This record gives sequence, structure tokens and C-alpha cells, in this order.
Amino acid sequence: MVARGAPSGMMSHGHPPERTCTPAAYIVERPRSHRNQGMAVIQSHVSLNRLSHVFTDGRVPLRVLQHLTFDVPRGKFLSILGPSGCGKSTLLRAIGGLLMPSEGAVTVSGAQPRESQARREIGFVFQDPSLLPWRSVISNVRLPIEIAGRAALPVVDPETVLEMVGLSDFRNYYPHQLSGGMQQRVALARAIVFDPSLLLMDEPFGALDEITRSAMRYELLRIWQSQAPTEERRTVVFVTHSVAEAVALSDRVIVLSRQPGRIVADVDIELPRPRSEEVEQSRPFLDYANHLRQVLRSAA
Amino acid sequence: MTSRIREAVRMFALYVLPPVVAFALVLAFWEFYIAWKDVHIIVMPAPSDVVERFFEDPEFFWREASWTLYEATLGLALGSIAAIALAAIMAHSRLVERTVFPLAIVIKVTPLVAIAPVLVIVLGFGTTPKILVAALLSFFPMLVNALSGFRDVNPGALEFMHSLRASTWQVFTKLRLPSAQPYLFAALRITYPLALIGAVVAEWFTGDRGLGVVIYVANANLDTPTLFASIAVLACLGVIINIALSLLEQRVLFWHETVRTTR
Repeated sequence: MVARGAPSGMMSHGHPPERTCTPAAYIVERPRSHRNQGMAVIQSHVSLNRLSHVFTDGRVPLRVLQHLTFDVPRGKFLSILGPSGCGKSTLLRAIGGLLMPSEGAVTVSGAQPRESQARREIGFVFQDPSLLPWRSVISNVRLPIEIAGRAALPVVDPETVLEMVGLSDFRNYYPHQLSGGMQQRVALARAIVFDPSLLLMDEPFGALDEITRSAMRYELLRIWQSQAPTEERRTVVFVTHSVAEAVALSDRVIVLSRQPGRIVADVDIELPRPRSEEVEQSRPFLDYANHLRQVLRSAA
Repeated sequence: MTSRIREAVRMFALYVLPPVVAFALVLAFWEFYIAWKDVHIIVMPAPSDVVERFFEDPEFFWREASWTLYEATLGLALGSIAAIALAAIMAHSRLVERTVFPLAIVIKVTPLVAIAPVLVIVLGFGTTPKILVAALLSFFPMLVNALSGFRDVNPGALEFMHSLRASTWQVFTKLRLPSAQPYLFAALRITYPLALIGAVVAEWFTGDRGLGVVIYVANANLDTPTLFASIAVLACLGVIINIALSLLEQRVLFWHETVRTTR
């Protein structure tokens, strides 16, 4: 179980913990904008500075993200939680270099996301597994290597990656022969075949049934935690609208408000790792979940 | 084993027998009607006359049919390749689409029978005008289908390709072209018969070989058995092409819903 009382170790920003509605003493919220507070930023893997985005292609300009500022340290699991339409996916695409934000800046490892993308440091998993149906499982996993050509050096053996997600026996199957959960595991394998240091996941389990969904949660954690020294773990930014998913997976949860998405809460989740399904029965888990639900309700 | 035989018999009874029976009934009625009303052979031959004519010299029909098939297939290949190439460019540029599409529509709406004599004047009496007419006829449906196919890609897969920094060419060969396969097959089912029509019509105007010529000459000589035998051969060609395309489609598009759900 988690130590009661706010562990001040996590609150290294030099700010007193801000508390909203204090459901339990160990739930601490980060101060909202803690950037440039004399903190060394070298550690942070992803860094956002007053990022805003407005879609101008519609008839009326649509403001989806409003002044987002936060850092994600290397090796951390961060979830972005928010009601649908708050711009979570837009945020993820901005971090991944698929979209230029209209204002503000994103950096990944101190560089433009597009540069990190070119160095194959970013892996993407979408809600729709979007595998290529005419390619077998193993051939889908090989796709990124084919696209990179000889330019890309550090490649994990696709067979190894497939084994990691538990699909070695299905290497020659085609996507239509697999269940939704298995397809999503192929999508995960495909995303990590370059061993990216940053993994961006956009509601990857959103289309799965409840049972598969919670199984996939711990499957993902198992794969993520299997990278032995904690510092060498992948940084994960995980977009979801499921509170349970966010709490179970993350080191930290950022809650966005309804459109335009602003940060309404930034909570460290200090549940012990490795986590397994039982964690969802524990008192702290339920407290975190209740707290986040409350924040979400007031944000919506 | 017996269950497999029973299954085969069941499939035959369900899928093969009904059309065969319907076809046989039509022929029987036709034969009977000619005999009953004593229709002259110059007006309308009986099916038996047609069959008899065919087996008098099957090699002749085969030779002429293969000319027509050759012209149609070559024309289809040229027209399809041009259409696919153009569609690929149009899929990437709205400007090219806006520029070229009206021209393609002009080609489409102009009656072919009006173009064919011009082509003969310009290109002479050889096989070239026939191939070109077949190509022109098969061009437009292939263009429209290929364009839709190249655009109808899974947005997630496209985004994933972009996240991998895939080049436009890689996106085309690894995503757009395979995605378009169902569209291309749908187009082929329309354009192959069209190419056959194009070749036959072009043969009417000029030339000394091909089923179109045979039909033209037989018509002029009131040789109805030869006329009908040629038509029957053309119909058989169409059926064979259709079956061949289906079999090919099942092999190539094994991953696609339309093939999976019809099995």
C-alpha cells in the first residue's frame, strides 16, 4: 500500500501542494504552471509551453486547446484525461509532430517533435488499430522498418517484439482473423519496433469491450514495466476518457476541461509498482478515482 | 467423405442448376417457336442451326475471337494503366483533378461510334484503332474508381504512415495502391466487357479479322447462323472473363470484406 501523507519527494517544484476538495491526504495536485521555476528542465522528455490550438478549416474557428504548459520527465507514464472533444487527441498529435500547434511550443528531448519523429523516437498507437489488412501480423510489424529503409539503425527484431506482446503464434495470421484486443497488441508491437523512447497512445483501448479493456491495461503495464531499470523505461503519454484506466496506469494524470481544453488538475498517482489487477480494489485507487471523477464533473 | 459429396451436390443444386435450367428453357422455347411458326432462317436461326454452324468450323470462330480478345485486352491494359497513373496524380493534386477531369468527362460522354471513324482515318486500318477504341472505353470507369480507391484509405493507417515519415511514394505503394484493389477489381468487371464492345465496334468500321468483321460480313450476307454463332462466342468470352476475374479477385482480395462475406 501507498504511504499515507503527501510524499514530498514528488513535489520538488518548490511550491506548496495545492489541494482541491482533499478527498484523501495523499492526493496532491501539482501547482498548475510550474515551468521555469528554477527546475532543471534537462530531465523532461516532453515539454509544453503555453500550447494552444485553433482549427481554422471549419466555418467557425474552433479553439481546442488553451495555454497548456507542462513537462513530462523521462520514463514516466502520463495520462491525459478529459471529456470527449476536449482536444486530447489534438494534443497528442501536436506532441507527436503530426500537427503544428497554432500557438506555443512543444519540444521532445529538447527538439522539435518533427526532428524526434525523424529520429524514430516516437511511437504511435491509435484507437483504431489501423493495421494493413492485406499484410500478415509479422508483416504489419515490419512495416515501420520497411519505411525507414536502411536509414534506421536501432531496430528490435520484429519477432521479439511480437513475442513481447504475446502473439508469436499468430505471426502469419491476418488482421481480420484476430480479435480487437489482439489487433491492438499488433498495433502496439508495430509502434515499439523502433524502440521509441516516447510512446503516444490515443485511447488505444477505447474500442474494446470492458473485459478485454482491463486485461489490456495490465498487459500494457507488464510490457512497459519489463524494461528493467526504471530510468530506461519509455515515456508514455496516454490519452483516455476512462478514469480507472488513467489511475491504474499512470504516474501522473492531467485532467483537461471541456473545449477549449485547459488543465484543470494535475495529480500524481502514487500507487506502488508493479501494479496488477488487484490495485483497482485498493483504497487509494478508489480515492484517486473518486477525486478525478469529481474534477472531471466540475470541468464538464 | 460422403458429407463432402453431399455438400458438393447441394452447392450444385443451389448455384449451378437454377441458371442452367433457366438457360435451357429459353433455348428450348426458342427452338420450339422457330419450328412451330416455321420462321425462315434468314429472319432467325434456331439454336440448333447456330450450334451446327459453330461446329462446322470451330477453329474459325476461335481464331477470330482471339483477335478480338487480343485487341480488347491490349486496349484494356493501355486504358487501365493510363487511367491508374492519371488517378494517382489526381489523388495527390486537386488542381490536376480540376484540370483533367472535365476532359475525361468529354471522352466519356462522346459516343464511341462517333469517334471510331475518325480514329480509322487518323490511324489507318490496322489493329491500332481497335486497341485505341477499347482503351478509350475502358479509361473512364477505371479513372473514377481508381481515384476513389486511392482516396479511400484508412485515416489511422495514413496518420501512422505520416508518423513514420513515409514518403508520398511509400504511402502510395504501401497504402493507397493496395487499399484501391477492391475498386480496381470493381472497375475491371465493368471495363473488360466495355473493351470487348469497343474492339467489336471498331472492327465493324474497318479491318479484315476479328468477330466484329465476321458479324458485319455475316449480316451483309444474311448468314444468320454465323451471325448468331459469333454473338454466342462473344457472350461466352464475357462469361469466361467474368469467372476469371472472380477467381482472381478471391485470391488477391482474400482480406477484403466483400470476399470474406461471400464465402
